[in-house]
Order: sequence, then structure tokens, then C-alpha cells
Amino acid sequence: MRLVMKFGGTSVADADAITRAVRIMKDLLLQGHEVVVVTSALPRVTDELVSISEIAVEGNLEMINTFLEKHLELHRETARDCIRDPKILGMVIGELSETSRELGEILRSVAHLRELTSRSKDFLLSFGERLSAPIVCGAANNSGLSAEWFTGGEAGITTDENFGEATPLMDVTSRRIKAKIEPMLRAGKLPIVAGYGACSPHGITTTLGRGGSDYTATLIAASLDADEILLWKDVEGLMTADPKIEPSARVIQRISYDEASEMAYFGAKAIHPRALEPVAAKQIPVRIRSSLHPSNGTLIDSDRTVKSEGVVKAVTLVSNVALISVKGAGMAGLPGVAARVFKILGDAGINILMISQSSSEAGISFVTPREQLQRATNALELGILGTEFVKDIASEDDVCVVAAVGAAMKGTPGVAARVFKAVAEKVVNVRMIAQGSSELNISFVVSEKDGPKAVRALHKEFRLERTP
Amino acid sequence: MRVIMIGFGSVGKAFGEIVKKSSGLLIKRYRITPKVVAIVDRGGAIINQQGVDLQEAISARLSSGSVAGHRILGHKGTTALTVIDRVEADVLLELTPTNLPDGEPGLTHIESAIKKRLNVITTNKGPLAAAMPSLLELARYQGVHLRFSGTVGGGTPILNFAKECLTGCRIESIEGILNSTTNHVLTRMADAGITLNEALKEAQDAGYTEADPSYDINGLDTASKLVIMSNWIMGRRVSIRDVDIEGISNVSVEDVENAKRSEKAIKLVGLINDSEISVHPRTVPFDNPLCVKGTLNAVAFKTDLAGTITVTGRGAGGTETASAVLRDLIDIKRTLLE
Repeated sequence: MRLVMKFGGTSVADADAITRAVRIMKDLLLQGHEVVVVTSALPRVTDELVSISEIAVEGNLEMINTFLEKHLELHRETARDCIRDPKILGMVIGELSETSRELGEILRSVAHLRELTSRSKDFLLSFGERLSAPIVCGAANNSGLSAEWFTGGEAGITTDENFGEATPLMDVTSRRIKAKIEPMLRAGKLPIVAGYGACSPHGITTTLGRGGSDYTATLIAASLDADEILLWKDVEGLMTADPKIEPSARVIQRISYDEASEMAYFGAKAIHPRALEPVAAKQIPVRIRSSLHPSNGTLIDSDRTVKSEGVVKAVTLVSNVALISVKGAGMAGLPGVAARVFKILGDAGINILMISQSSSEAGISFVTPREQLQRATNALELGILGTEFVKDIASEDDVCVVAAVGAAMKGTPGVAARVFKAVAEKVVNVRMIAQGSSELNISFVVSEKDGPKAVRALHKEFRLERTP
Repeated sequence: MRVIMIGFGSVGKAFGEIVKKSSGLLIKRYRITPKVVAIVDRGGAIINQQGVDLQEAISARLSSGSVAGHRILGHKGTTALTVIDRVEADVLLELTPTNLPDGEPGLTHIESAIKKRLNVITTNKGPLAAAMPSLLELARYQGVHLRFSGTVGGGTPILNFAKECLTGCRIESIEGILNSTTNHVLTRMADAGITLNEALKEAQDAGYTEADPSYDINGLDTASKLVIMSNWIMGRRVSIRDVDIEGISNVSVEDVENAKRSEKAIKLVGLINDSEISVHPRTVPFDNPLCVKGTLNAVAFKTDLAGTITVTGRGAGGTETASAVLRDLIDIKRTLLE
């Protein structure tokens, strides 16, 4: 089998975790599988790169030095703890010092220029994986494997220049990855790719968005026609609900690509929302597992082979959102009002999660990320409030979105009735409802304090705590 | 339009001549004034932003072996990549010989030109056979055109016919005689009763083939053309690795004679349908429109609505292929105006 494995932050958290990861790689190679590894950064490193770049742009040179010393030492120590061979260790330490020196130069340039463009930010953020990959690679070589590591760009992942959330050029990527990685696999080598980062056709470093190393893994798997993807994470798999909200939540054993993507968009943090696109097309199964808890985890698979576990498979909660309502009796029957509203929002760069309009047409409601609320209401106020048809723009920022996800809802009557009955029994007031025509989920808005209550009510109603 | 020409063989020279001879017509009818600002061959480049004089380039090449031998405008040792990088132009003509399976150096020339936002016209099948989906995606991303009419059928507009004239039909299969050399050889074997090697020697002496006809004989040339048609016409994403290829080297005089007795001819047939992309010697009945002779090419498109349509024409030749390049150039000019 040809396998692509991603090790998330906690799976490479320290020397023990890395040693465990290497053992997994070695076992699979000894069984005769071809393996490609994708690594994340050490835990919290990317977050700290975000903060240091924001500090650097203020011109704070001293903090940069402290940051560099701390992180160089952290990575060196991790390397020393999991690499015994002095020659390999020496090489890795050398690489780390060189990369850290480069990182320092860039941070200092940011500080001197007092300028942090999205382009330089992407370059900076790619350093977390550039520092972890040599350690994982060194540890693999230390245990007798023949590993070599690359940045995402070197491996062949090519994207547009939409920095921060770049979109892959799939055909270019596919060809370049094949050309780079396939000869290595044929020669029995273990390629290790730094996750999250990529590069544009002009060689500029880009990133695939937070959690992007899942995407790195699925892009590589799709390009190499892999047989399976294993995502080693700090969770055991996709859960029926957030266990912090609903203690009886359990791991979903099998789920389709569509359902899993839907969950990712609706706040299940276990997977990058776009990561499943490349593999769904090629029907490559994805398994999410925890490197700490040996269990089967979740298998994400094609819709045809996934038997339904129930009409609703999971309940998700998206907090940090806001609800905006544009109202006016004059909106009824007037064509083009909705177009104007959404054009204004689009021009202001507002992301819209949900939309709903009553058939009386006297109002449109929609949900945006909470941090965009002020920008959105302001743009609408300047652009459309006070015209003859819009009389009021109301907003609420203490709301959240609850979504029930499951492919079997399609064609099963009464699911919506059960959803809203269960919620109503807990005296939770529903502010807005939307169901896409794909019928993969029913989502609704409730006040922030009612969110967990609604999640628990649905989890119970659909008996998600029971293993099917 | 300023044009950089990489490769200065029969197609390049023919293109230069067309541009020179028909400049009046081109400007009157198509509002286009192509100007070759650089020509690159193995020895270097000749560069002139006012336009390289074709005759001067040809005589420089005759006297010194390279266009770079020109005493004022020649640049000895200057590579194609340097020219693409430094010389201002609108279109790159990639006319170097096909090299398989990696498509180099043409592939790198085309990629570099696209990255510099040059439109590209190529008659070189190698880069497309190796990496067509990737090149098309890159061109789309950079907002430039990549055209390759001359790669299939020489001057016969096979690609354009299928892509534009058959709009609305579903093409169920494509079957074709796509290689002039092998078709000529097989025709001579049948008509004169000579062996494959004798027929090949005869074709070489008459100047019908390349110096090295191995890509023709082993089927790789036909396979490359199938890759281009599958990607462009059928919208698939394939490379030469996906083609099942068998050449004509095992075809004997007896095989040809046997076929003839049952009113058939052996042809090197390229086939694309839902389940396969393949090149094999096959027998074709004399009365099938595909059964063309000599250096002719023929392609039959089987469609759901319009039935089977066969396009026939000369499949090679400098001037014929240069006409395809000119067609691409005019087409690019048109879309730039839109």
C-alpha cells in the first residue's frame, strides 16, 4: 500500500512523541508499505510565530532575540533527546541554527521596516514546520531509516498568491509532486514534507491556512494516487459533539467525505475544511487516529461505501459569530435588494456563514464571524440604510450556530421536526434557521448561552451516545 | 506582435517566409504584424527589436552553423532561457524537436515563458505529452494563452475542428492515422512489396522523415498526439505514461500481404475511447475513410449526434505546420482584443 501520514502538533510534541511517530513509520515500512510523512510544527510554535511577527512590526528588536533563543533551544533540545547518532544530530543542529538565523533576519527586517505584508507573514509562519521537519527526519534516520525532508514548495505543492489561505494549482502540484516524490518511493526512501507551507509558481512561499498540514497530506495523497491517508492527531477522531459540551460524545467510526467536510465548516476542529476536496474526487480513504490512544479512530470514506449510522451523525457548535438582520417593509417584492446587500458585504470582505429570508421578504438575516460584525454593519449603514426600502439594521453578537449533520437526512421526513422539538423542550429560542438544498445539515442560530443546551438536547434526541 | 522563436528548422523558416511574404494580407485582413524579435538555435541567438531579417538569419546559419554567427546581431552561446528572460516580446514560438518522455528542454522553455506572461505557441509535442494539464493550468493562472494546433495533423486543423466545430456533440471515440512517416512506410510496403527497412530507407532518401525516425516507428509520436487530443478535446488529464503503445517494427511483408488479400491495409492506428488510449498496428478496410495513403493523416470522430466524421489532410511539412502556427497567432491576437 502507498500511505500518506500526517503527524499533528501533539504527535511531534516532544522527543517521546517523535520517537513514537518514528516507530509507526518504521513498522509500516517494514511491512513493505510505501510511506510519505507530513509533519506539523511543534505545539504552539505557529501561534507564537504569529505573535512575534505582530510584535516585530512594532519595532521591538529585543523581544525578537528572546524569541529566537527560546525557540532555537526548544528545537535543539527536542533534537538532542530523540537523536542519538552524533553525526546525524550534528547535521540537524546545524540545520536548525541556519533556519533560526534566517528567521531572525526576516523578523529583524520586519522590525526595521515596520511593515508586515501578508506575503512576509506567510513566509514567517512557514518556519514552524521548517524547524520541526529536520528533527523528525533526523530521528527517522537515527533509527536506521533513509529519510529526506522538504518544504511543501520543494515537494511540489504549488498555489496561487492568495497569502494566508492559498489555493493549490492542482494539475501543476500533481505533476511536480509525482516528479519529486515517486522516484524516492521507488528507491525505498522515506520522504518527509513540512506541512502547511507551499509556494507560488514564482517560488514565493505561501500557506494553506491554519490546520493546513491536513491539506498538505491530502494534496500529496491525491497526486500520488495513495491508497490511504492517516492523520495522527491529538483527538481520537471526529466526535459526535464537542466532549467539553457533551460528555457522552463518542468517536464516529465511519463518515462520508461530504459529511466530514460539512462538520469541518461547522466548527469541528479536527480537520481542515478544504482538506477533503482532493481526496474525495479520487475516493482515497482518510483515517483520523490519535497517536496516544490506540483505537481505530474515524474513517472518512466514499458516500457509496459508508452505511448510515443514523440520520444525524454529529452536532456541532460554532461560537464567535454574530447575527445581522436587514429590515424594511419596502423590501417586499422589490428585485435587487438582496443583491445590493450582499454586494456591499462582499466588497467589504465580509464572510457570510448562513443566510435566511422569510417569504414575506420584509427582512434578510445572515450570520458573519463576530470579529467582522462592526465592519459589516458599518458598510451596510453607509451603503443602504435610510434608502426607501431599508429602515433598520439590527445586530446581535451574543449568538452561536448549532448544526446537525448527516447525509441520511436527505429523504428522511421529520428530521427538522425532531430537531426543533428537542430544542424547544429545553426552552431554547431559535433565532434563525437554514438548511442547504444538499440536505446534509440543518443549522440554526440560538443565543450564546443556549448553545451548549441545544447541542446536548440534539445529541440526546438522536441518541448519538450509543454506538451503532 | 513581437515573437521569440526557439528552434530554427523547417517550420521556423517557413513561418518566417509566410510572415515576410504575406505581411500586407495579414495586416489588411487580420490587423496583425508579426515581428520576429529573436531566433534561438543550439549555437545561440540573433536578436533585433526592429525585427530579425529572415534571409540574414538563414545565411548566418548556413555560414557558421548558427544564427548567432550574424556579425552584428548574433549572440553566441546565449540560451533560450536568457532570451525568454531578457527580450521583450508577446509570444514565444517553441519549435524545438520533440524529446520524450520528459519533454525537455521545451518544457522548461514553455514554463519560463508562461511565468514571464508570454503567450506560447508550440509545435513541440514533448512538453505536452509530458505535462499538458499542468501547463494549461499554469497558463490559465498567469492569464496567457498556450496554443498547439501544429502538434496534431500538421496544417490539418484537427484539434480546432473537434473543439469548435463539434460543439454540442459528445465525442464517443477518436480513431486516427496520425503519423505520416509510418503511414508512408506501410503504404510502400503494400504497394511495392518491400520490407519495412527498405521502405524506411526510401523515405529517408526522399527526405520524408526526420533524421531519427524512431519515435515514428515505435509509436511514441502517435501516442503524444493522443495525449494532446485526450486532454484538449476529451477533457481528460493524462500523460504519455497512460498510453498503451505498440509500434510497427514487427509488421512484416506477409502481414501486409495477408491484409491486402482481405481488402484491408495495416495502419498504425491511435485510439481514444471510454476505456482505453492506445496505439497499435491494426487492419483497416480499404473502403473505410480512415484508410488514407502516403503521408496523409486521417482522424475519425465518432459522435453521438453528428455520426462519424473523418478529417483528412497532409500530416506534416514545414509550410503546413507553419500555417497552424500562424492560425494560433491570429487567434491569440483576436482573443487579446476581446
